[in-house]
Amino acid sequence: MFKINKICLGVVALSFMFVSTAIYAGDIRVGITMRMVSENGQKYGQMMMDEIDIINKSGGINGNNIVATLMNDECKSDKGVANANKLVSQKKVHLVIGSTCSSVTLPIVAVTAKAKVPQIIPHSTNAKITKLGSDWIFRVPVSGRFYAGVNAKYVGENIGMRIAYICAADAASQNDCQAMQGQMRSQHGAEPVYVAEVQEKEVDFRTHMQKIKTSNVDGIMIAALAETMARALIQSYEAGMDESVRRIGSSSASNAPVPKIAGDAAKNVFFAAAYAAADKRPIARLFNEMVRERYGIHAPDHDFSQAYDLIRIVEIALNNAKLKLTNSSLADDRVAIRNAIAGIRNYQGLASGPISFCRDSSPVCRDGNRTAVLIGYTKGGEQFETEVLARVTMPMDFGL
Amino acid sequence: MIELLVRINNSIYNLSRVHRLLPWLIAYLVLLPLPKLLEFVLSDYYIDLANRACLFILLCVGLNIVKGFCGQVTVGHIGLYAIGAVSSALLAINYGLSFWVSAPLAVLITGFAGIIVGLPSVRLEGAYLALATLGLGESVRIMIAVTPALGSSTGIMLIPAPAIGDFVFDSFERYYYLVMTLAVLGIYLSFAILRSTTGRAFQAIREDPIAAAVVGINVTMYKLLAFVISALYAGLAGALFAHMPPGYLHHNNFTIIEMVTLLLMVVLGGIGNIWGGVIGAIVVTIIYDQTKDYYFYQPLIFGITMVLLVVFMPRGIGGLLGRMIVKKKFIKNHEDKVIDFA
Repeated sequence: MFKINKICLGVVALSFMFVSTAIYAGDIRVGITMRMVSENGQKYGQMMMDEIDIINKSGGINGNNIVATLMNDECKSDKGVANANKLVSQKKVHLVIGSTCSSVTLPIVAVTAKAKVPQIIPHSTNAKITKLGSDWIFRVPVSGRFYAGVNAKYVGENIGMRIAYICAADAASQNDCQAMQGQMRSQHGAEPVYVAEVQEKEVDFRTHMQKIKTSNVDGIMIAALAETMARALIQSYEAGMDESVRRIGSSSASNAPVPKIAGDAAKNVFFAAAYAAADKRPIARLFNEMVRERYGIHAPDHDFSQAYDLIRIVEIALNNAKLKLTNSSLADDRVAIRNAIAGIRNYQGLASGPISFCRDSSPVCRDGNRTAVLIGYTKGGEQFETEVLARVTMPMDFGL
Repeated sequence: MIELLVRINNSIYNLSRVHRLLPWLIAYLVLLPLPKLLEFVLSDYYIDLANRACLFILLCVGLNIVKGFCGQVTVGHIGLYAIGAVSSALLAINYGLSFWVSAPLAVLITGFAGIIVGLPSVRLEGAYLALATLGLGESVRIMIAVTPALGSSTGIMLIPAPAIGDFVFDSFERYYYLVMTLAVLGIYLSFAILRSTTGRAFQAIREDPIAAAVVGINVTMYKLLAFVISALYAGLAGALFAHMPPGYLHHNNFTIIEMVTLLLMVVLGGIGNIWGGVIGAIVVTIIYDQTKDYYFYQPLIFGITMVLLVVFMPRGIGGLLGRMIVKKKFIKNHEDKVIDFA
């Protein structure tokens, strides 16, 4: 008898262990999966959670609380898929937010499409994500197809046609690099002078820099993640190339580690992004102040602003969606949230331009922001400074 | 608990005396309704978790053959897993082959790769062999990362799920039947290898390669064979991983961190213990899943677990349970003899 009791107790304890979160009707469940392995990555996630907490404290969504689950996918597709499966099947979320990395977002699109759960992306820029044609996907950041067009236009008109490329192996950098080469070709008929494919965390670029130096180029595009880009920038000066050779960054040049690590080598680097900390609008100044106070970040990059804008868009959509929030209405509520996000028009937040979605599942409707801002670093180091060079809005079907 | 294990052990022994496949058939039948049970008691997410556990079981059982049976230190197993995954995916996408053709071909390709990974073992041992295999494993990942034809940075997308006619293995439950069947088959074959002449040769090499050579065992051939068999397991696990919905592969799935996790599974379960590998794969998969909410401390938990295991439980859970069962049996036999004597 005693043994049977022990077995029963064990089973009950195991059940409690597995069912780690109770699911309550009346709550709006949101699942977030992001790359939380870097300090900034953790802060993006933390800011989302904090903003959701603020919404709840100010009365929630029509009186309903948002219950958010934040998970780390380590920028790995298998972990991202497992997270998405857990959020969709176990946590029964109404909405999935994520991921940071394009290589994680790409497979999650299939998971959310199959489960019919709306998914909204805070950071991933790879153009293929919305080209998959899912009816459940929405992208807040500027798609890679727009960034390339803006960069190529500026480079062709202001810098020159002889461009060398250093392309790191991560998904976003490869996408940025290839799209830029394609745009230089189609807009100006300019072929790359030199192309180097390097590892995601490459440390030695000196051989490439020497070759680029002898090629007499007008500019070098360095498409890599933040730390890698910073190293490449420093080594470009060590190789003896002065400021007359313009350094063009990929979208991750917006991340704070680039000017912090690169120091003076970051000066005059320009890149297309979705937010400039140098933005003079009151909303941007307030945001910069908030991020500085709350997270100790000197100048927030566009990943911060996009995470913030995403929560605001989600808040608007949830307020507009007529949610029943009963145990049996999950599928209807998911459809209502998807339709409400698709109904967002001209959201004016921190982003470089207005964000709009529409009902069709094509990239035209699901890539919300098509305005990129060209930003240049005027000073590197811990107290880095930026300036806005241009703001360009691309046609909706550009790059398709 | 130990008494229960002893009883199960005795029952398996008795059943195997009726027919050697009978315990396996019963185990398979017991595992068949698991998805329904998981869905009913917990949620269908746990079927997905079971699928991933089955993949890791195949990987661990394979790794145990080369590491546990044959005593060769390899840290390149994840590279073989990658070769199996990418080969099957590309054969299915580029040549339109069905899973039933692409997966066996991928397993064969991985088997050949196993020879290459195993070659250093002819000359190297211990830490040197570990370094050589680590290099080979990482080279595979880097090659995938920089080669557009192998998926490069964007990965390989839209890998078709296995299908038999109109029956597509595209849900957690359907995939479970496929992956669980192959995992059970993999465990059975591993036992069969262990009990065969080949398995005994592996163990002889593990204990003392020179003594093994003296008694006529072709050490070089058996070492390579261990790597090849291990690679076949990794290739199969890789192919199953590639075709598992949503059918997406990226080189980030095959990093050194994944290899360390795999080693943790084998060490936790018990090196050289087949059931240990199975237990390790299940336990680590569940712990990893249940600690997801504490992502900040997760690497710390895994790191400390690894250190504590090596220090306090070097033979792993499998070794510990095995010892306890033997001890219990010994005490029981001893008590019986005392009673007889009285």
